[in-house]
Amino acid sequence: MSKQSVKRFLALYFFIFFGAIFLRVDYFPFSWVPMYGYHLAGESVTVGIGDKSERERGFPAQRANGERLYISADDLNVPNANYRRLYHQRAFNNGPPQDDRERAALIAFNRWWYETLVGPDPRLDQRYHMQLLDSVNRTFGYGSDDPQRIVRLEAPLLFATFDRDSVASGDLSKPFVERRTAIITEQGGILRKGDKMIPMKTSREREVIE
Amino acid sequence: MNSPAKTRRSWVDWFFFDWHPAEALGAVRFYFGLGLAVYLYFQFDQNLKIDAFGAHFAFTRPIWYFGLLGIDTNIPWISFAVMPLLLIACLFFALGKWTKPAIIAIIIGIFYMKGVRDSFSGDVHHREIPIFAILILFLFSKCDRMFGIDARKKGWAPIEDWEASWPLRAMQIYIALFYFWALMAKVRLSGLDWFTGGGRIQEVLISRALRDGFTPTGEVVNLSLGWDLAQNPQLIWFFGALVFLFELFFPLILFVRDWRLKLVALIGAAVFHLANYFLMNVQFFLYPFVFVTFFNMAEFHRWLMGKVRLRGRKVAEA
Repeated sequence: MSKQSVKRFLALYFFIFFGAIFLRVDYFPFSWVPMYGYHLAGESVTVGIGDKSERERGFPAQRANGERLYISADDLNVPNANYRRLYHQRAFNNGPPQDDRERAALIAFNRWWYETLVGPDPRLDQRYHMQLLDSVNRTFGYGSDDPQRIVRLEAPLLFATFDRDSVASGDLSKPFVERRTAIITEQGGILRKGDKMIPMKTSREREVIE
Repeated sequence: MNSPAKTRRSWVDWFFFDWHPAEALGAVRFYFGLGLAVYLYFQFDQNLKIDAFGAHFAFTRPIWYFGLLGIDTNIPWISFAVMPLLLIACLFFALGKWTKPAIIAIIIGIFYMKGVRDSFSGDVHHREIPIFAILILFLFSKCDRMFGIDARKKGWAPIEDWEASWPLRAMQIYIALFYFWALMAKVRLSGLDWFTGGGRIQEVLISRALRDGFTPTGEVVNLSLGWDLAQNPQLIWFFGALVFLFELFFPLILFVRDWRLKLVALIGAAVFHLANYFLMNVQFFLYPFVFVTFFNMAEFHRWLMGKVRLRGRKVAEA
């Protein structure tokens, strides 16, 4: 390549890679590098408190024929880090962070091209919990009429809620701790909070920080 | 006779073509390739922490190119086959043997292994993005022409300085601006709220520290240092301010020629990545290997070989 060709190549290279930044593209191998950039300060901070032994035991589940079982990371043959995300996040209908931030604070042009070329905002139709149930059944090869198929999947998990003043003062000693259970059935998802049963929202901002 | 206007070089020439000697590119390729093998192993080893002949997990959210290709299920043994091929390709790339085909093999391997890792649950990580951008520059450069097996065996003529300089400078721009764009993303998405009080850093510290829960004695199972820091918002604010300044001013390194100054700046960046790992389990901790692109690694190699030979001589004499 001559120097002139190199200059043309570099112009194209940076046009593509840095153009993706201005267009807010975040699809590998291009990115506008948002990683941990999305922060929505609320009245409180809610996080999941993991329990490795509970997670290792697996999702409490039920087959169409009524049999109860646990479905673990080993059963699904999924790495532990991914299983944790399935258990702590997807089961509770929380998507990956890129879905939360993809359409946040877009300028008009970027909103136009996203909606034209990619589709609607993923926050408007969240069915991560149903995708999880579908994945489990497809992994085991269960069809929609199979009596062996999984019709109910649960993910019990403790959640800690820290009020904003405590967080601001660094006092994390007295969070409000609540056991929540995500219950996923073929009809949809339900969140059990204490003794309340709440249908999972399919369109919302994320409540739990990850 | 040339007029001064004609002989004066443009800033583009100065910036891209006059920075590194010819020998630097091949040496950077060698050390980058070695580092890449280690880096990619630790990025993708979780694909191997499953049963090679166990269940074929139906991906919950396949990455976009898996979606296009119709890859919706993990066939675990393929990852076990791809990983050694990927590492061998990195070594061929480092040693300058079939360099360009090795780069293409590495890129394909990254796409596959990343696709698998990120499709299980749908979290798409950013740790391979700068690697891809750098490999593209190696692919279009003459990085195979010096400091490698093919170059020696085939007796290729040395390249000119400018031919080595431009790809290295372009890599440096990408690496330096990766931090700057990360700052811009924070400001675009969250404004200065990101830094206010403990801000986003404190939230991540809390959530990461608690994700494996507590021990029976009430200690967090993992990331206890992060949990302690989460309870010091002033200290977090200070670190947040450091992150702001670091990401804002890091591109200035592009105008530094003194290797000692560059080393200080890059050690600072390496500390940033290590701190993120130990406090929040952010898996960029081996990423600083890309900083070899900022140095004339041929000089480093001569210095290192001199030390090795001297040590060998001393051992022989003793």
